[in-house]
Amino acid sequence: MSVKPSVGKQSTSTKGAEAKPFVGPEDLGGYDPAKSLGEPGRFPYTRGPHRTMYQHRLWTMRQFAGFGSADDTNQRFKYLLGHGQTGLSTAFDLPTLMGRDSNDSLALGEVGRCGVAISSLADMRRLFDGIDLGSVSTSMTINAPAAILLAFYAAVAKEQGVPLDKLRGTLQNDILKEFHAQNEYVFPPVPSVQLVIDTIEFCAERMPQWNPVSVSGYHIREAGSTAAEELAFTLADGMAYVQGSIDRGLDVDSFAPRLSFFFDVHNDFFEEIAKLRAARRIWAHVMRDRFKAKNERSWLLRTHCQTAGVSLTEQQPTNNIIRVAYQAMAGVLGGTQSLHTNSMDETLALPSEKAAKIALRTQQILAHETNVTQTVDPLAGSYFVEKMTNEIEAKAYAVFDQIDAMGGVFAAIDRGYFRRCIAESAHAAQKRIDSGDTKIVGVTDFVEEGAPDIDTLRITQDTEDEQVAGLKALKAARDQARHTAALDKLRETAKNGENVMPALIAAAKADATVGEMMETMKAVFGAYDGGPEW
Amino acid sequence: MVAMTTALPKGSSGVENHTSQNPPRILLAKIGLDGHDRGVKVLARSFRDAGIEVIYTGLWQTCEATMHAALQEDVDVVGVSLLSAAHMSVMPEMLRIREELGIEHIPLVLGGIVPEADKPKLTEMGIAAVFNPGSPIDAIIDTLKKLAAKHQPSDFDSLKTGYERRDMRALAKMISVIQADNDCAGWSPPKGVAKIIGVTGAPGVGKSSFIGKLGKLLRERGKRVGVVAIDPSSPITGGALLGDRLRMMHDAPDEGFFVRSVSSSGSAGELAPCCSDVVRLLDGFGFDVILVETVGAGQGDVGIRELVERTILLLMPDSGDSVQFSKAGIMEIANCFVLNKCDLAGADATEAQLLGAVGDSRPILRVSTIRNEGIEAVADWVSSPRS
Repeated sequence: MSVKPSVGKQSTSTKGAEAKPFVGPEDLGGYDPAKSLGEPGRFPYTRGPHRTMYQHRLWTMRQFAGFGSADDTNQRFKYLLGHGQTGLSTAFDLPTLMGRDSNDSLALGEVGRCGVAISSLADMRRLFDGIDLGSVSTSMTINAPAAILLAFYAAVAKEQGVPLDKLRGTLQNDILKEFHAQNEYVFPPVPSVQLVIDTIEFCAERMPQWNPVSVSGYHIREAGSTAAEELAFTLADGMAYVQGSIDRGLDVDSFAPRLSFFFDVHNDFFEEIAKLRAARRIWAHVMRDRFKAKNERSWLLRTHCQTAGVSLTEQQPTNNIIRVAYQAMAGVLGGTQSLHTNSMDETLALPSEKAAKIALRTQQILAHETNVTQTVDPLAGSYFVEKMTNEIEAKAYAVFDQIDAMGGVFAAIDRGYFRRCIAESAHAAQKRIDSGDTKIVGVTDFVEEGAPDIDTLRITQDTEDEQVAGLKALKAARDQARHTAALDKLRETAKNGENVMPALIAAAKADATVGEMMETMKAVFGAYDGGPEW
Repeated sequence: MVAMTTALPKGSSGVENHTSQNPPRILLAKIGLDGHDRGVKVLARSFRDAGIEVIYTGLWQTCEATMHAALQEDVDVVGVSLLSAAHMSVMPEMLRIREELGIEHIPLVLGGIVPEADKPKLTEMGIAAVFNPGSPIDAIIDTLKKLAAKHQPSDFDSLKTGYERRDMRALAKMISVIQADNDCAGWSPPKGVAKIIGVTGAPGVGKSSFIGKLGKLLRERGKRVGVVAIDPSSPITGGALLGDRLRMMHDAPDEGFFVRSVSSSGSAGELAPCCSDVVRLLDGFGFDVILVETVGAGQGDVGIRELVERTILLLMPDSGDSVQFSKAGIMEIANCFVLNKCDLAGADATEAQLLGAVGDSRPILRVSTIRNEGIEAVADWVSSPRS
């Protein structure tokens, strides 16, 4: 039962794994890029989803932001837009991420700490105050309660007079990787995925410019997986959403063009580029051949990338600027559609305004000064990169076979397969650090004494107190009969197995809180207590 | 280079003076809603490799439940992992509960994202050490072992008095004493009235979650429940990952529900030598039901018969794999078959296969732990007189 693939144990960053000093055509095992690679914007899209890529349009510089109250984050959004950022990306605090209100007993000390606290439509309204939802694109990093936050967003848009079909943005809404890695799940896997499919169905019909799911490898990688595991698990999750939507009765081409992805860009420069290239090729084949999609846009893997938070060090934090810059370049050479560059102080605290600006400037320098944007996929035909792309692709297919043999993604979750693979890879990586095989500048080598001397952002207890007071006032002022009826309707809809999105929007407008809506659904769907741990 | 503060006196070399024969026991906890557990899991594995018994209590724990677990497990150190920046709220609460429970002898350490300015404050309030991302694991292990070595064994006579007064702290410590030398100076606990039930089954069938739900229902019926959860330890280092507890914990700490994690001797299928003593201690302490969860190695795992009065074998729908897997040995000794995860497809087929394999002379009960269904029938069986 304890299946563990031998995937990516020999990451190229491991000393000795790549013994040959150089790679030549003989290492490609008969693969000839001139014949098989294909062109950018053409099947299988290894070289990029679009024909002209950054020549025509730069990637979106999308810096994740959110802290404190809705008002605090609203100000940060306006600051970032004012400095040339081209899309918004919302970080929510832990209680919100877990679908709990700010006054929940487990929320002690966590309100507004790691993101913005949103418990109700009133909070959401303040978050986007003065920002035209018809002209920005907004990403929301939220999973278990994602459908509720989407309902809030739709309700705020309606108040602003923006029609749903004009809204652009992305909901992370990838619950499967929560079971594998990040642990922000609430309901059991099966109803959780049905809820995701509710949003896919709703967006296919009503919000055609919205990406309802961002299938995410980032958290899997940050939890300690190898690059190959990140790639394989993410695409396996993507396939589970596609299959679930088809089983719901949706035409694959009605929703597949709006599925997006989210990968980590870590330290191993060429491996990360190979991973992104392989991801596009695998997805194109899977969508065309396995799921019989006919629309070419359904075959495209479009992705957001974020530099590796786990690679940042507390020691000598300004070194992190350099790490982020190299990782960002790997993301761009890998052909990402949007990018978040981490701030240098993120192992210490949430980003300060200054650190967040340097992170954004890092992208701007990359985009406007290095000239890496002049041609698409410049590493194509490199023996080394092509070999690596083929190898990581093969590893991913081997993992798909293992998951299929177990009976699919749900069965594999039930057996603890993903968690065990990730935990063992994380432990192996740590052992390489402990043994000196993996060097970390400023931590294992080139060490300096003394504490880091940078100013960090502090969140005060005020946010928590204000949120708790605000919720109390909201509950006292709302129309109780309308509120009760809206939650009753939500319960009814969930019980009948109907799409809950319309009921969630109605409940949002009736001032039901995130926690109340989650509890209502929990009573129907049940709660998940975690799979096998080790 | 070590970004760490520690309250240990300089030059303390406690490791050699560790008086107990037990490996150091450390409870690792994540408090609150933060689900980032890469760090805590990497540490757990590294601690195991360094010969430490690690009890990991899982995600979303309250301060109160964590400190009650520390009391019951009689650990040498409690380590809290916090990446949510809630340390200045959580750690004072942990210290307050530690005092309330009278277990101030257990040092508390913290790992996570902790700003430099908070470190002196944490040390001053009584946190024994603070580790950051990047703290070398060897240094962390060294600090923990030194802290564990300061944990003095208690006087046996005063433990006896506490045990007779049904003081859970005394019970917890008594178990450690038994584990250390397997000898209680000729003393043996009184014979109690507990129904002693073994729960076994292949890895992954959900033994711990099942015990959690069964225990909860028995508590609602007014029974005092003791659980002994046995996990394998490494025969080389003596370290172990004891993770069963996290599936059993209830929302609120409960004086009538005691869980103790025990590492087995390491050889597959055999029970740790002290297991029977632990069961006797729980029996004498006055529990009504004692549930013994075993490694679940399958075929060879028949040692449980010596320890318990009756055995539940847990199975799950999986195209008959677990029935096949368990055919020899364990199938004969089971007194009751519980088919768990009946919410999954294939339950009917597995039940039919089971019926074909073992006949209908012993009960076959269908359960879904995740939906909390079917537990009543198992509780009825547990409470029924032995046949």
